[in-house]
Amino acid sequence: MQDAWLMPAIPGAAFVILLLFGKYLPRKGDWLSIAAMAASFVIFFPVLADLLDKVDTEGFTGGGKSWEWISFDTFTIRLGFFTDQITIVMLGVVSFVALMVQVYSVGYMKGDSRYGWYFTCMSLFAASMLTLVLADNLLLLYAGWEAVGFCSFLLIGFWWEKRSAAEAAKKAFITTRIGDVGFLIGIIMLWKQAGTFDISDIFQFAAAGGYDSTYLTAAVLFLFAGAVGKSGQFPLHVWLPDAMEGPTPVSALIHAATMVVAGVYMVARMFPLFQLADPVALDVVLGLGLTTVVLSATMGLVATDIKRVIAYSTLNSLGLMFVALGAGSTTGAMFYLFVHGFFKALLFLASGSVIHATDRQDINDLGGLAAKMPLTAAVFGIGTLSMIGIVPLSGFWAKDEILHSARDAESAIIYVIVLASVAVTALYMTRLYVRTFFFQPRDRQAREHAHDAPLLMSAPLLLLAALTLVSGFLVFDGVGEALGFPGGIGKFVFAEEAEAFKFSWEVALASTAVALGGLLAGFAIWQEDAQPAKRLGERFRPVYELLFHRYYVDEVYQWAINHIVLFAGSVLAWFDRNIVNDTGVDGSAGLTYLSGFQMKFLETGKLPNYALAISLGVIVIAILFLVLKA
Amino acid sequence: MTYEEGIFYLVAAITVIGALGVVLARNIVHSALFLILSLLAVAGIFILLAAEFLAIVQVLIYGGAVTILILFAMMLTRVRETPAAVDGPQRPVAALAAAAFMATSILAVVSTEWPGNTEKINVISLDQIGRALFTTWAVPFEIASLVLIVALVGAIVLARGEEGE
Amino acid sequence: MIPINDFLVLSAILFSLGMYGVLARRSAVLILMSVELMLQAVSINFITFAVYLSPEQFTGVIFALFVITVAAAEVGLALAIILRLYRNKQTANVDEADIMKW
Repeated sequence: MQDAWLMPAIPGAAFVILLLFGKYLPRKGDWLSIAAMAASFVIFFPVLADLLDKVDTEGFTGGGKSWEWISFDTFTIRLGFFTDQITIVMLGVVSFVALMVQVYSVGYMKGDSRYGWYFTCMSLFAASMLTLVLADNLLLLYAGWEAVGFCSFLLIGFWWEKRSAAEAAKKAFITTRIGDVGFLIGIIMLWKQAGTFDISDIFQFAAAGGYDSTYLTAAVLFLFAGAVGKSGQFPLHVWLPDAMEGPTPVSALIHAATMVVAGVYMVARMFPLFQLADPVALDVVLGLGLTTVVLSATMGLVATDIKRVIAYSTLNSLGLMFVALGAGSTTGAMFYLFVHGFFKALLFLASGSVIHATDRQDINDLGGLAAKMPLTAAVFGIGTLSMIGIVPLSGFWAKDEILHSARDAESAIIYVIVLASVAVTALYMTRLYVRTFFFQPRDRQAREHAHDAPLLMSAPLLLLAALTLVSGFLVFDGVGEALGFPGGIGKFVFAEEAEAFKFSWEVALASTAVALGGLLAGFAIWQEDAQPAKRLGERFRPVYELLFHRYYVDEVYQWAINHIVLFAGSVLAWFDRNIVNDTGVDGSAGLTYLSGFQMKFLETGKLPNYALAISLGVIVIAILFLVLKA
Repeated sequence: MTYEEGIFYLVAAITVIGALGVVLARNIVHSALFLILSLLAVAGIFILLAAEFLAIVQVLIYGGAVTILILFAMMLTRVRETPAAVDGPQRPVAALAAAAFMATSILAVVSTEWPGNTEKINVISLDQIGRALFTTWAVPFEIASLVLIVALVGAIVLARGEEGE
Repeated sequence: MIPINDFLVLSAILFSLGMYGVLARRSAVLILMSVELMLQAVSINFITFAVYLSPEQFTGVIFALFVITVAAAEVGLALAIILRLYRNKQTANVDEADIMKW
C-alpha cells in the first residue's frame, strides 16, 4: 500500500513525456501510454496483496503514504495516497479497464490525425483518475476530480471539427461544473469546522460529534451535488448522452467504467459522513438515484443511436448504485460498480467494433450483423444479458444485492420501482441487441463490409467478456476465500459491518422473471419490421414524444439559459461595458490623459523656470524646517 | 569693533558689491570683472578664517583658471554681439525668491545655537591639511583627480563636435 | 574676534545673490558666473564651520578644497556645453534651448 502512489505516478510521467516529446516517438508513443498503464495495473497486485495481508488485523482502516504539501504557521496541508477496501475495488476496475481500452484504442483510433494526442489524453486521464481514487484528502481528491472532468472535456471534444462534438464537450464540462461547485462548497464546509482536509481525520472529527447535524447534512448534500454532476444523476444527467460524441473507447473508459462512477465512489468513500448526517441526506441520494433510474430506463426505449442507448443504460446503472447507497448498502453499490465497469466497458467496446466495421451508429441503419460479426455479437450478447441481469452473469448478482437493499429500505415502492426498471432495462437492451444483430439489415451497404475486429481489438473484448461472466461470483464467500479475500464481497467492502451474502429465492425469482419478461417482450415488439413497436409508438404518441424529447429537460435548460442566464448575462454585460469599462477603466484612463494633457503645459522646457521651481521648493522646505523646529 | 572686525566688514562689503555687480551689471564683461573682484575678496575672507592655503588655491584656480575660462566662453559665444536682454522675464520672481531665501537662511543662522566656541577661530595648519588629505581623504582625493580627467576628456569631446561638422 | 554668525550671514547673502543671478539671467555664461558665487558661499560656510566648530576634524576645509576642484572641472565642462549650445542654436541663452518639452 506504501507504493500505491506509483499507480497514478507512472501514467502521469508518461503523460508528461508524451506531451513534450510525443511527436518524436515512434508510433506517436502509444506504446508508452499502454506500457505505463500496464505497469500501473501490475502494481495493483502487490498493493492488493498488501491490503489483504493487513485487512484481517484488528482496527484496520486502510493505509498509505502522505507528504507535507503546504505549511502555514498554524496548519499544514498534507497530501497523500490511501488504500482501503473501497479504494482497491475502484483501483482494480480503473487500472484494468483503462489498460483494456488503451489496447483496444490502438486498433480503433488507427489512422486518426490526432492519434498521439489521444494517447496523451488517455495517460492524463488514467493518472488523474487514479489520483482521485487514491487521494487521502479532499483537496487532492478534488484536484483529481477536476482533472478527470477536464480529460473528459478534451476527449468528448476529441473530434472538435464536428460542431456537435465541440458542443457536447462544452455541455459536459459546464454541466458537471455546476455539480463541482457544490462539491467544492461541501469540501470547504467540512474543512472549515474540522480544520483538515484529511478524510480519515474528518471522519474522526465527525464521529466525535464535531459537526452540527444540520451543518453536516448540508455539507454532505453539497458533496453529493458533485456526485450528481459527475455521475450524471437527475437533474444534471443531460450531458452524458451527448458525451457519446467522443471516440467510443473514451465512452467505454470515461463515460461508463471509471469517471462517471467517481460520484458513486466518492459517496461510498465519504459514507461514514452520510451515515452521521440527518437521514434526509441518504433519502436525497436514494430519491435522485431512483428518479434517474426511471427517467433513463424509459428514455433508453426510444433512443436510436447505439451508443446513446448504452449511455442511458449507464445512467440507469448509476442510478441503481445511488439507490443502493441511499438504502445504506455500500457493498451493493461498490459491487455493482465493480461488475458494471467490466460489462459496460464491454458493451461500449463491442458497439465500437460495430461502428468501426459499419460506420453507422443508428440502430435503424443496422441489423443482421450477427452472421457477419459473430464474435462481436457474442460478447455484446454477454454484456447485454449481464446488464439485463440474467443468471449467472455478473450483472445478476450485483443487481440482486441492490434489489435486496432496496427491499430492506423503508418503502416497498422503491423495491417495486427498481424491479420495474429491471423489466424496462431488459426491454431496451433487447431492442438494442435485436435491432443491431438480428433480422434483415436495413442498410445493406453497411453490412457488406462488416467483419469482426482484428485481434488487438478483440482480445480486450474477450477478456472483458470473461470477467463479465465470472466476476459476479465474487459475491460468494467460497470464491472470495479461494482468491485470498476474507470472504465474499460483502465481507470485504462494507460500510459498518460485514454483510453476509444475501440470497432469497423470492428476490432472485422476481428479478429473473421481470428480466426474462422484458427480454421476451423485447423480442416480440422489435421483431423483423418492428411493427408492434411502431404501433405502440402511434398509440401512445404523447408518451413517445415525451421520451423522445428526453422529458424536455434539455428544452427546460435551454429555456432557462435563454431567458434567465442570458438575461442576467446581458445585464452584467451592460454593467461591465458601461460602468466597469467605460466609466471605471476608460474613465480613469481618460481622466489621467486629460489631466496629463493639461499638466504638460506646466512643462515649459525653459531652464530658468525649472531652476525657479527648484528654488521655491527649497525655500518652502527651509521654511517648513524652521517652523517645525521652532 | 576690533580692527579684525573692521577688516572683515570691509572685505565682506567688497565681496557683496562684487556679487551684486555680477548679477546686476547690464554689460556682460562688467559682470565678469565684478566676478574677479568678488572671488579675490572671498580669498580675503578665507585669510580672515585663517585658511591661507585655501586662499592661495582660490586665487590660483578661481582668479586665474576659472575667470579665464569664462572670458573664453564669452569670446567664443560672442555674447556681446547678441544684445538680447541679459535678464529673463522671471526676474521679479527671482528677486523675490532670492530675498525669501536670504531671509530664511539668515533667520536660520541667527536662531541656531551653535555647539562649541563661536568666538574663536582655530588655526588649521597646512601641515594638518596635507596629512589629512593623504591619509583620511586619500581615496576621495584620488577620485577627485579622476573626476578632473573625466571632465577634461568630456569637455574636449563636447567642444570638438561630431565628425564632419 | 569675529563672531561666527558674521561669516554665515555673509555666506547666506552671497548664496542668495548667486541664486538671484541663476534665476534671473538669460545668458548661460552669466548663469555660470552666478553658480560660481553660490559655490563661493558654500565654501565660506564649510570653512567657517570647520575652524569654529570642529577644528579637530576640519572636514569643512577638506570639503572646500574638493569644492574648488570640482568647480574647476564643472567650469570646463560647462564651457564645452555652452559652446555646443551656441554652435547648434547660435545663442548662449538658456531659455531658447527649450526643445525638451512636450
